Amino acid sequence: MTLDQSFQQQVLTLLPRLRRFAVGLAGNPADGDDLCQITIERALLNQDKWQDGTRLDSWMYRIMRNCWIDETRSRSRRSETFVAEDAGMSVGGEGAQEATVELSNVDRAMQKLPEDQREAVLLVMVEGYAYKEAAEIVGCPVGTLNSRLVRGRDALMEMLEDAA
Amino acid sequence: MSTPDITPEELAAWADGELTGERGDAIAAAVEADPALQAKIDAHRALKSKLSAHFAPIAEEPVPDHLAALLQTPAPAAANDQIETPEGSATIVNFAEAKEKRTMPRWGWIAGPALAATLALAVFLPGGGTSDPVGPNPYADTQLASVLDSQLVADQGAGMDTRILLSFQNEGGEFCRAYSAGETGGIACRDDNGWRMEATGDGVDGGNTEFRMAGAAEIMAAAQEMAAGDALDAEAEEAAREAGWR
Repeated sequence: MTLDQSFQQQVLTLLPRLRRFAVGLAGNPADGDDLCQITIERALLNQDKWQDGTRLDSWMYRIMRNCWIDETRSRSRRSETFVAEDAGMSVGGEGAQEATVELSNVDRAMQKLPEDQREAVLLVMVEGYAYKEAAEIVGCPVGTLNSRLVRGRDALMEMLEDAA
Repeated sequence: MSTPDITPEELAAWADGELTGERGDAIAAAVEADPALQAKIDAHRALKSKLSAHFAPIAEEPVPDHLAALLQTPAPAAANDQIETPEGSATIVNFAEAKEKRTMPRWGWIAGPALAATLALAVFLPGGGTSDPVGPNPYADTQLASVLDSQLVADQGAGMDTRILLSFQNEGGEFCRAYSAGETGGIACRDDNGWRMEATGDGVDGGNTEFRMAGAAEIMAAAQEMAAGDALDAEAEEAAREAGWR
């Protein structure tokens, strides 16, 4: 009981950061909070697999990015008849202003990155993970993480320069 | 020192403090000697500050209650309970809320943001409640019917009072359309007599995002339960209109 409480308490402490990562991955707060919820539920169901003494934050981030990958896969399967993401995530035609999520330049540029580059950028440049830690969360070699980061970073710089 | 032997990966790693030792020293010396390299390091760090500044406010915001609540229930056995009785008492979380939230990504992808931004709906399904919220006439009035007949999601403008959120077919093969009109909204399906109201809602145009989101999720959940497949795309919607929604 006390162990479980402390597990939940620890996740609760991490939650603001997890939310930040979720919103970054999903591209908007509504989907980000859904991702958070799904992640928390999965973590609670699997909490016996977390080894006390190991880093809970990396474990939670890993669950979250896995949940997100699942979600994007099922989205790409079911969204073929839906409006494409590039359409500004809007319902309706051009000029449907109220239906368009307001995205800043940074959000828009982030959403254009491939998933693997976006998560690398978020983990290192926003969440502040060392390359090795980020690579463990993602489950790839450090060199791969490093090169995804550079590609993502270069693409962002170019897009943000264009936007400026 | 010549620069071509320093890869972009190395440079980024060095800028992030990931590259030390001899190689790190060599790069440090090269950066010192080469303004072009220095500019790249600066650009890397500037992007890093820009990104952290952009995302920092999210981590500063209070966590939404429904997320915190997931972790505040004393539920050591909850995980097991939920597997055994998925429909049982919500030990982890209010089940309806969990379901409602889980259905959001699917429809939220396209319609959620629209709903969230414009209205909150308290959805009443006929037969599901004690009152008769649809009123004595279960069919859409002339004005609404005309919108439902003619308006396509693809070409409605920003200024329209009534907006179609999405169209789909129910299990009986009838065409149904979810709409919002200012502070109200609902779902109507076309039958022999006209647009039969399946659900209506009163909007609560309050400032509380959570309520708005809950309302959005509810009407989406209602539409999802009625829908036999995916929402119609623009082409299918136009074809359905040509056919008079029959």
